[in-house]
Amino acid sequence: MIITRQKNLEEIIVMLQGSEKVAIIGCGGCVTFYKTGGRKQTIEMAEKLREKGIDVVATGISARQCYLIEEKEAEALDDSEIIKKVARNIVGLEEAEGIDAVVSLACGVGVQNLANLIDTPVYPAQNTLFMGRRRVEGDFDIEQCIGCGDCVLGYTAGICPVTRCAKSLMNGPCGGVFNGNCEVSQSRVSEYDIPCAWIQIYEKLKANGKLDNMRRIFPEKDFIRATHMRKVEVAK
Amino acid sequence: MKYYSEFMRSLKSSEFTISGEIDPPKDVNPDEVKEQVKHLKGTVVAANVTDNPIGDVIMNTLAPCVIMQDLGLEAIYQQTCRDRNRIALQSDIIGATALGIKNVLALTGDHPKMGNHPQAKPVFDLDSVQLTGMLRKMREGSTLAGTELENPPEFHIGVGISPGVEPLEPEIIKLEKKVKAGAEFAQTQVIYDVKILERLKDEASHLDLPILPGFAPLKSIGMAKFMIKYVPGIRIPEETMKKLEESKNRVETSIEIVAELIAAARDMNFSGVHIMPVGMDIHVREMVERAGEI
Ligand code: SF4
Ligand code: SF4
Repeated sequence: MIITRQKNLEEIIVMLQGSEKVAIIGCGGCVTFYKTGGRKQTIEMAEKLREKGIDVVATGISARQCYLIEEKEAEALDDSEIIKKVARNIVGLEEAEGIDAVVSLACGVGVQNLANLIDTPVYPAQNTLFMGRRRVEGDFDIEQCIGCGDCVLGYTAGICPVTRCAKSLMNGPCGGVFNGNCEVSQSRVSEYDIPCAWIQIYEKLKANGKLDNMRRIFPEKDFIRATHMRKVEVAK
Repeated sequence: MKYYSEFMRSLKSSEFTISGEIDPPKDVNPDEVKEQVKHLKGTVVAANVTDNPIGDVIMNTLAPCVIMQDLGLEAIYQQTCRDRNRIALQSDIIGATALGIKNVLALTGDHPKMGNHPQAKPVFDLDSVQLTGMLRKMREGSTLAGTELENPPEFHIGVGISPGVEPLEPEIIKLEKKVKAGAEFAQTQVIYDVKILERLKDEASHLDLPILPGFAPLKSIGMAKFMIKYVPGIRIPEETMKKLEESKNRVETSIEIVAELIAAARDMNFSGVHIMPVGMDIHVREMVERAGEI
């Protein structure tokens, strides 16, 4: 799941300076499960912005903003038609002529996808943080995968060293393990403890009788697969 | 086997080899380096120059190495993976060896979050095992990508180990990989506890690798408490703390504690020791001489 956090309102208001008619579109994907950009948060966002004097004329939710309509289909439509199509249940758009700004509560992918389809500027209401597991309990969400393009989970007991080791080390722990936690999470700029990924990997491999996985030398990572900008052929 | 450095020759002979450490200055004044070299020369065979420990901005590693070698003390050039990708690391090695560096210590490096520029982008393109392998490859005449080095760099490769961490097994597995990758000597994280020395001896004796346990004077109770609380892999025995607390002369006591550790390492047949003076470079000679009397 894509983990997001809403921007503070002031920043959104600054982005909206000069806009007169605003639509707000949430997303039915990760941000709904995560309670940062679903129906409820979209309505709340509209109310908060109205309180600050912004003329929010329409609110709606797209099913998945990372998956809208094809560009070809969009070419034949104007912006309000596209918005109606991607956020079917939109409230208020009928009455509103000339929307000049859209605030999206989707992740960075959703915002870009929508911005690619319409000429009206689209502004993000979220900071997109990382790919992580959805947690219902517990205090923290931990990043799980940075999409390195060459998955090693099969050798590392299903625990990602690229993401969950603060230094993305591939060959075992550094000397920074402190009470089983990563020293980085115990530094001056961090308020919480995160377990050392390599100690977790070690313990799980050991329990599974697979410690030999740790004895092999992982070669240097091939960052051709992991650096921007990346693209991949569309799966047919 | 050909030895490129005096340090390596000493390690491979039966001599008990002592290395020291220099802290690069915080600004451009080289006098601090010269001062430290003056106190270490004659007592240690070679001295490490650190690579921005904890990620604070200070003088780079190479400049003090060159100043030191000009003054006749051999350098151990520390290289970490924190700030440089594989391109910069290799270029630095070519430059450093062109300026006469004969020993390189390959380390992971502290995370930038630990230092005074926590906002910096952490690099860690390679880890310490991969860095070790790359250094060997360069010495054998090729860059990591396989381009030929007609005049390859000539140096010896050292690595680090932190023998006080729990659990120790993954650390030992990593050390084994470093040996496989090309490590020729190891220096340890600072040790204050003889039990850690014993454990290291037991757990690493199967490796054909000279290991130099690292010692540093405990200058104050405050420092000792800080180390226990914040530095991973540090254990300070109660007797040591008691000695410090009851001491009438802390400098004397801290010298004595290091001397006892050096003597213990010598009696356990370690290849030598690594002394990190942490500002007490004027007393390093005394630490070593005192150990000789134990
Ligand atoms: S190894 Fe790469 S692809 Fe696999 S979980 Fe980690 S970052 Fe993601
Ligand atoms: S303590 Fe563990 S998680 Fe943290 S940087 Fe070191 S190896 Fe990685």
